[in-house]
Amino acid sequence: MLPLGIRLRILLRLPLLQASWNYERMQSLGVLYILYPALRFIYRDGDLVLACQRHLQYFNTHPFMAGPILGTTLALEEERSLHTEGTLDVDEFKAMIMAPFAAMGDAFFWGGLRPLSAALALLVAAAGCWWAPLAFLLFFNLPHGWALIAGLCGGYRHGSGMIARVQRYRLPDLAVRCKEVTALLLGALSAVLVADALRAAEAAPAWGPCALLLVPLLGGLARLGVSNLILILLMAATLLVFLG
Amino acid sequence: MVWSLDYLYAGLVSLLVGLDRTAVLQLLISRPIVAAPLTGWVLGDFYLGLQAGTLLELLWLGRLPVGAAIPPDDTQIAVGGTALALAMGAGAEAEADGLPMLLLCLLVALPLGKCGQIFDRLARQGNGRLLIRAEQELARRRPAAATRWHLLGLGFFALASLGTYLGIILPGSLLLPWLAPYLLAKVGDAAPWLALAFPLVGTAVFLGALRNRRILVLYLLAFLVVYFLREGL
Repeated sequence: MLPLGIRLRILLRLPLLQASWNYERMQSLGVLYILYPALRFIYRDGDLVLACQRHLQYFNTHPFMAGPILGTTLALEEERSLHTEGTLDVDEFKAMIMAPFAAMGDAFFWGGLRPLSAALALLVAAAGCWWAPLAFLLFFNLPHGWALIAGLCGGYRHGSGMIARVQRYRLPDLAVRCKEVTALLLGALSAVLVADALRAAEAAPAWGPCALLLVPLLGGLARLGVSNLILILLMAATLLVFLG
Repeated sequence: MVWSLDYLYAGLVSLLVGLDRTAVLQLLISRPIVAAPLTGWVLGDFYLGLQAGTLLELLWLGRLPVGAAIPPDDTQIAVGGTALALAMGAGAEAEADGLPMLLLCLLVALPLGKCGQIFDRLARQGNGRLLIRAEQELARRRPAAATRWHLLGLGFFALASLGTYLGIILPGSLLLPWLAPYLLAKVGDAAPWLALAFPLVGTAVFLGALRNRRILVLYLLAFLVVYFLREGL
């Protein structure tokens, strides 16, 4: 069992996973940096260098899902150092799990929770509340912090059993629910903004729903490969020419 | 002199939030909804920053920082745009000209922010050299030294953030005094629509990227219900 001090050091190093992100092996140097206090405790001399070289191999996953992966990696490294028969190979485990966990993390944290937090915060800001940025940070970082801390501790405690525990949360399904709620919040936000714009421009409220025509049009242009930057600059230029 | 000190303070914010973007923590203080109000607060006008953040937040929300993909640097656009707007006098004392000046500054900062992707790519390429150094240390059987190269990557990401910030601030502060006399009145006339265009483009692109009819229907329903309830039609 790793001493508490070492586990705490690993936890404190975890948010630095991507500090040396590179195109060659992505997060590999970060993984070595995070695991090093434990590797130094488990291995000595030549074995330590070999273990470090193993962890410098290609690694890339979602940064918030690194907690459970690296926690499990620690448990497997301990088992390996004790020469336990029949345990899962550490490198094999990392290679096997990083891509599915990356997909789950991308779908939930980037594709689901981040837009949901943003839509919520923007609605709060539209209501004139100054604490919208704090609401955004709190709403996003509670699951984020939990994934890192509970993931690392759980991974270390349960070993490869952690995979089943993470799967139980059904993150891709949660991401879909988040997107649905985001769409509702964005609809409400758009309605408020359109109503405010019509009032500021002293235009008739009946024009409001016409703004909805723009959404599929702009979305279609984006799908055709027109960048957001071009879209906003084109829209701004059009507005300046006709209204300015 | 005062404005150059303000740019310096905003530069420190750009460094802090720029590191959060990829290299450290990822608490998302790098998102425009947080980075712009933070810049505004440091420079003395929180609400102008909040306004900038709400305009920019949705614009690239659908672009995910997945794998080797580098999304446009909306963080430095938020910081740089807010700093430029305050330097150009869009603060609380500007009254009617505040929003038009902010919109003009953001429209100038948006294309300038494209340089962020170049700086970010350079930082990641620089980090590749750190990996080689770490391997060399391991070959010399010095594992502790190998791990220390990792932290130097923070320096590359910090330089990339500062580079992008300067890439927005320097040309922006030269362009804006020249553009403002010609465009500010026009931007003022179109201000309510321009302020609507930012979140609407972001929303449209976000929903378009999902390619999900059910989600689009939910958006339309929420829009119509809230709009008609609000307007009492």
